[in-house]
Amino acid sequence: MSTHIPRVDFGRRVLVLRHRRIAVRLLWRSVVVCAVLAVAVAVTAVLALMTGSYQLSPGQVLSALTGRETGIVHDVVVEWRLPRVAAALVFGAALGVSGAVFQSLLRNPLADPGVIGFSQGSYTGALIVILVVNGTYVQLVGGALLGGMATAVAVYVLAHRRGVQGFRLIIVGIGVSAMLGSLNTWLILKADLDQAMSAAAWGAGSLNGVSWDQVVIGGACIAVLLLPAGMLSRPMRQMELGDDAAASQGVRVSPARLGLIVVGVALTATVTAASGPIAFISLVAPQIGRRLAHTAGITLAPAAFVGALLCLVSDHLAQHVAPTPLPVGVITVVLGGGYLGYLLFTEVRRRP
Amino acid sequence: MTALAPRQDGPGTETVPGPRRRLVGLVVALVVLVVLLVLSVMIGSTAIAPSVVWDALFHSSTGIDRFAIRDFRLPRTIVGLVVGVALGLSGALIQALTRNPLADPGVLGVHAGASFAVTVAVGLLGVRDAQGYMWFAFAGTLIVTLLVLALGSTRQGSSPVVVVLAGVCAGAVLGGAREALQLTNPDAFDAMRYWNAGSIVGRPIEVVWPILPFFAVALILALAVSGPLNALALGDELAVAQGVRLVRTRVLAVIALTLLAGGATAIAGPIGFVGLMVPHVARWIVGPHQRWIFAYSILLAPSLLLVSDILGRVVMRPGEIPVGIVTAFVGAPVLVALVRRKKASGL
Amino acid sequence: MSNTSLTRRGAALAAALMSASLVLTACGSDGDGTGDKTAETRSVKADNGTIEIPVDPQRIVTIGNTNLPFIDLGGEPVGVTEVSASDLDVLPEKQRTAYEAAEIVGSNGGEVDLEKLAGLKPDLILVQFHSNDWDKVGKRLETIAPTLLWGLDTEWKAFADAIAEAGNVADALSRQKAEYEEKVAKIQETYGKIIDGTSFVDVSRGDWNDPGTFYIADIGCSEIARDDVGLDLPEAAEGKDPLAYESLPFEQIGGLSKYDVITYPVDAEGRPAEPFVPVVETNTWKALPAVSSGRALGVFCPGNNSYGPVIRYLDSLDSALATLPAKK
Repeated sequence: MSTHIPRVDFGRRVLVLRHRRIAVRLLWRSVVVCAVLAVAVAVTAVLALMTGSYQLSPGQVLSALTGRETGIVHDVVVEWRLPRVAAALVFGAALGVSGAVFQSLLRNPLADPGVIGFSQGSYTGALIVILVVNGTYVQLVGGALLGGMATAVAVYVLAHRRGVQGFRLIIVGIGVSAMLGSLNTWLILKADLDQAMSAAAWGAGSLNGVSWDQVVIGGACIAVLLLPAGMLSRPMRQMELGDDAAASQGVRVSPARLGLIVVGVALTATVTAASGPIAFISLVAPQIGRRLAHTAGITLAPAAFVGALLCLVSDHLAQHVAPTPLPVGVITVVLGGGYLGYLLFTEVRRRP
Repeated sequence: MTALAPRQDGPGTETVPGPRRRLVGLVVALVVLVVLLVLSVMIGSTAIAPSVVWDALFHSSTGIDRFAIRDFRLPRTIVGLVVGVALGLSGALIQALTRNPLADPGVLGVHAGASFAVTVAVGLLGVRDAQGYMWFAFAGTLIVTLLVLALGSTRQGSSPVVVVLAGVCAGAVLGGAREALQLTNPDAFDAMRYWNAGSIVGRPIEVVWPILPFFAVALILALAVSGPLNALALGDELAVAQGVRLVRTRVLAVIALTLLAGGATAIAGPIGFVGLMVPHVARWIVGPHQRWIFAYSILLAPSLLLVSDILGRVVMRPGEIPVGIVTAFVGAPVLVALVRRKKASGL
Repeated sequence: MSNTSLTRRGAALAAALMSASLVLTACGSDGDGTGDKTAETRSVKADNGTIEIPVDPQRIVTIGNTNLPFIDLGGEPVGVTEVSASDLDVLPEKQRTAYEAAEIVGSNGGEVDLEKLAGLKPDLILVQFHSNDWDKVGKRLETIAPTLLWGLDTEWKAFADAIAEAGNVADALSRQKAEYEEKVAKIQETYGKIIDGTSFVDVSRGDWNDPGTFYIADIGCSEIARDDVGLDLPEAAEGKDPLAYESLPFEQIGGLSKYDVITYPVDAEGRPAEPFVPVVETNTWKALPAVSSGRALGVFCPGNNSYGPVIRYLDSLDSALATLPAKK
């Protein structure tokens, strides 16, 4: 049965196909792709600032942004729309990076922080605060972070047996996630409808009501976390070739892996604290980024830009696609999942 | 039988027991299952004396408890048996077909498909009774499983990873759509709360009859393809060299597992882990021999389901915990323990 | 990249204008064409503090569970959050029209379209939802218009009082209250002898219950029957979850035989409520002494969060008790 392991390694094959010979050109392409993505993000952001259920002319939006409006017009543009756009951008990018770290680390395109149980764990924590303790929003955030972190640590420890092997981590993660998933179902089942729906809306991940506080604090955390992520990106790429290969190039594999896991989880945790678990961006953004940039392995920058764009577009759709606004997470799931499905489909057709 | 189970399973070969030991194990599993069937009728969230149970089953008794036994515990036990067999066998088939130890009806988006179909039925079409949902769940499962397996197969055959990816995609998209429907429709949200847990309580025996013919067909198909699937485990080229007709084997296996997973989900809702875990355990006991794995799965899966259900009845008296929640709590630690075994880590 | 600078600029702007905006919004709403009435205010107490609200609010938006109680008091909100279809079905025609005339500003899961709400230019917002939804959007609601919050655990009579005071519909409330007192007194007087020494139990089944499970209803309408009318109904132990949160398997229906009288939910026409039908159809139910002796009473409960539906419940309870055979 040991023949099965390499088949799970989906991401590595591309690495073999594309050779180092053209590495410079690839890098150039990355830069161009990132620039194009940045423009797309900017355009979407402007669009999101201009549109909403409260009718405002572009002129009003502009003068509100430059501080020449007061009252409700100012509130709508500067206090509501702007932080929401900023949050989508920053959080989306963080999720993209977080997913890229995990996929590279586990050499598996299915990997994201959800794999090691973070999402389910934080939902469990939040549910307990909402349904059992009936706590405040701050307690909710605390509960979610505690639940997510505890689960991530538990999965890591359970998968640790003379080092952590990617495949084992995934299986343990699936097991623990499934267990917490049923606990969550049970908690929802035992609650009052109003409470349960409130909890479910949080669990879907929503940017409704995001304030400048959340954006500034969350953004600061994310900025701090991106630093070690950037520093570890070199060992990360070397580890994609295999632990032994990386070790022979002087990478201290175990500390590097632990550090990357911590960074990846912390990025997702920050976003979860601010907006609930927004699903699927961390899974899809690195994949889309890799394909757009034609890079060999997973790279951080394209993943970040794709994540930001995906989150912005999804949030815009979430506010306008249904008669009443939906949590953004519902849209990211559908968009992200659909795109990954489309990629699979075309990939399959291209194969001989 | 051993002739159909070639032993060229590569360097990772474990020391697997011989045919006689396997047979003894099978008998033990059968005994365990029978004991559990009896216990499932004896034990419930209300304490009913064994003598009363006996009278209710075999004599004409007059107490009100006789209905509890005849109308609720007995059908529940039968439903558990049937659903368990279907889940175990479908899990074994999926794992053999996709050559993927991660494969499970849940992983392949089957539950999400059923759940989405039921939400549509409740939220948009106003279906309100369990018998009505059942067919939606069945149809949802069939469509999604076929879609996922079609999406995940190349002209050459199916790639395990792509199949799982396709399952995750389908599961996510349908899950998101379902959530959107539920969050904008409180009635649908309310009605779906229990369904998502997965349970075998209160399914009248009448819901099982229409599904049984599907299961019978699936069982026959599964037995028919167990030999070829064995060869398939070694890789497509080797299987072809051994005279296996790839397309036919795959199509039959897909039909079988779809019927099984669909029927089980239609009756009981999404019960996870049984289909993932039981074939693992079976493979660990008997080695890579599909027919034995199937046989063990058929006996072990209902045992697991019944143990979980009995546990769910007694731990929170007077209330109960739905069996789907218990299977996850029983199954996850076992899975983690299995993965931590050095030998099994290569599964 | 241009976006990052935009964001920073916005952040700086926000910080600078944070304090100013509070003052400015207050001034701004005055000039927003809602007339001079908004100038005169009165203070009302709610869970979010003592709030200054217009003396005679004209454009009220109700969010969460305030919808139906406000409409029940004859209120006509300009904006509401969605109400489930099953609640709408049992609503009197006139109230249904009032609900449908209002703009929908969100689902009931705390997702409120704030911009749409602001566009309605309300002069009062009434809210009852989960406290963490409040933590998310409460401040913003308050910048749109004076907002009153009540938590989900507010007792229904106090809730009706508060809504009536805030929404200026106190007349309707006192009429409803009088009717309510009268009904309770009448039931106590007419059936006092039967009620004394008789043990009741109220059982129910909801759409969310697994098939094959039911629950003992100790919250909702039966709470009123127990606490106000004085029926001897089971109650959860102090500090424990309500009994209703525990789904019981059908094999425990037999356990109901220890009660003298069973009440169960029926629809407006007196047929067993749709989710409850499976219970009525079991052999165990049919074999219960209370059922076979005509002591299982169907009672219609259209809601328990305001006086209107509760009065309809009492009417139903009244006619159900009338069918109770004399004591053995």
